[in-house]
Amino acid sequence: MPSEFTNQKETALFQPEHVRRQFPIFEREVAWLDNAATTQRPERVLRAMDEFNRRHNANTRRSVHRLGAEATAAYEGAREVVARFIGGESPAEVIFTPGTTVGINIVANSLAHGGIGPGDEVWISAQEHHGNWVPWLKATQTLGAHLRIIPLLPDGHLDLARFQEGLAGGRVRWVALTWVSNVLGFENDVRAFCAAAHGAGARVLVDAAQAAAHVPMDVRALGCDFLAFSGHKMYGPMGIGVLWGRAELLAQMEPFILGGEMIGRVEEQAATWAEPPYRFEGGTPNVMGAVGLGEAMGWLENLPAGAHEHVSALAREAAQTLAELPGVRILGPAMERVSLVSFCVDGVHAHDVAQVLDGRGIAVRAGHMCAQPLLRRLGVESAVRASFAPYNTMDEVNALVEGVRAAQELFA
Amino acid sequence: MSEQLYQRIMLEHARNPHGAGKVPRGTEDGEALNSACGDDIRIALQWGADGRLEKMTHELQGCAVSKASASLASQKLAGLTTAEIREVAAGFHARLGQTGFEKEWGDFQMFNGIEKFPARIHCARLVWQAVAQALAKREGGAP
Repeated sequence: MPSEFTNQKETALFQPEHVRRQFPIFEREVAWLDNAATTQRPERVLRAMDEFNRRHNANTRRSVHRLGAEATAAYEGAREVVARFIGGESPAEVIFTPGTTVGINIVANSLAHGGIGPGDEVWISAQEHHGNWVPWLKATQTLGAHLRIIPLLPDGHLDLARFQEGLAGGRVRWVALTWVSNVLGFENDVRAFCAAAHGAGARVLVDAAQAAAHVPMDVRALGCDFLAFSGHKMYGPMGIGVLWGRAELLAQMEPFILGGEMIGRVEEQAATWAEPPYRFEGGTPNVMGAVGLGEAMGWLENLPAGAHEHVSALAREAAQTLAELPGVRILGPAMERVSLVSFCVDGVHAHDVAQVLDGRGIAVRAGHMCAQPLLRRLGVESAVRASFAPYNTMDEVNALVEGVRAAQELFA
Repeated sequence: MSEQLYQRIMLEHARNPHGAGKVPRGTEDGEALNSACGDDIRIALQWGADGRLEKMTHELQGCAVSKASASLASQKLAGLTTAEIREVAAGFHARLGQTGFEKEWGDFQMFNGIEKFPARIHCARLVWQAVAQALAKREGGAP
């Protein structure tokens, strides 16, 4: 990949090369277009975690010693950063999890204690990632409740009218919805769905895994009850994520992971639970991960102006240019792009496209993208996905399109 | 480079796979699914009165590597007994991504070098998983 920033289409306002230099991994020659799977980490995040490991490592909350106090301060400091970053009222509403999937599992598991019974309904959308599908599938099956699916309109948007009809039936108790689809790449009008659900007395969990790095998150403005996301998709480390929940709901919820750190008092034959958020953080927490995530949020807040516009411009350009290639089908409307584009190439399997791209130093995702039900509805078996970050360039978009052409030629 | 993976023989097999056809769900003798990418294959085996495989038909959703592998298996296994098929399968698994295939393995040599693309080894194995299942079913034993 050309490392110099040369393309005319990029605005003078935002220089991806300045961002790129902050990422040690780009000492390797790679066009990293797999950001929706995981983003790379800036020096600042790596350094903060390194500093924690070298100077402050200790277990939290149960140590009277100096290092223990420092580790606890680092962990709780990160919790405060997260609360501010997502517009939460209190750090007590911020639960550190290993990632989005575990966050969703904590909430889905709580359905068993939430008065959901036979005949009740949980609604998800046809766009959901397996991580926001199977926990609800299992929960509803176990409880004799029904899992209902918000269908897609022809352009891939969610059918709000159909959802409202469902709500009118009076049995909808829970709704779980992705903010930005990891396949279609546009933002859902989550606010409208939250308002409709609340009007019918249902609770809403928002899967923000693909939104967190790109869309300003404000849980109060969004109007959801729970929000889950992962650190490693927003320039933080793997193994750390967040479940945010409204304090009054968390207070009523049963824990999911039982053990150390989450208890009140333990008798031989009885136990009580700690208050939220600790109730939901059984076991030794990932302090290093939390420190890294807090730092990544600080990094995101300090991105130069135009960074997010740059990312969506790359995705739109990729979508439009790919759509013009004969035999290429892009999924979702070309112009509505937060950060990614998924596409299929006639006669060439997605894995083969990705392999040819890898041979050219371009990393993309290929396969079902953990959204088998969605791909089935779209009538495709597998797709290729290119996803962007502020360190990507228009040159990389051009190289992607060239690579897709080369794959078409190889398999013609 | 990906060109090393997609050798001419592989591309030819993938373009015109031997034994490709319809194997309606429920009629298959063996099936294999790659949960990592969603690829799947169903195979149907036709046996002669002499206990030899007359024909293997496969229906596959998959990449060029899995297509080429299914094509080659259809070609090479015709005329063999179950014991002979097991022998070929064992030889295949011992060589794929490990020692590589010697000259006498013919077209199987297209997989030599696949160890540089570890994510694709399971693509080459897919049809063989379905074959193992079909043999187990025919013999009533463990796959």
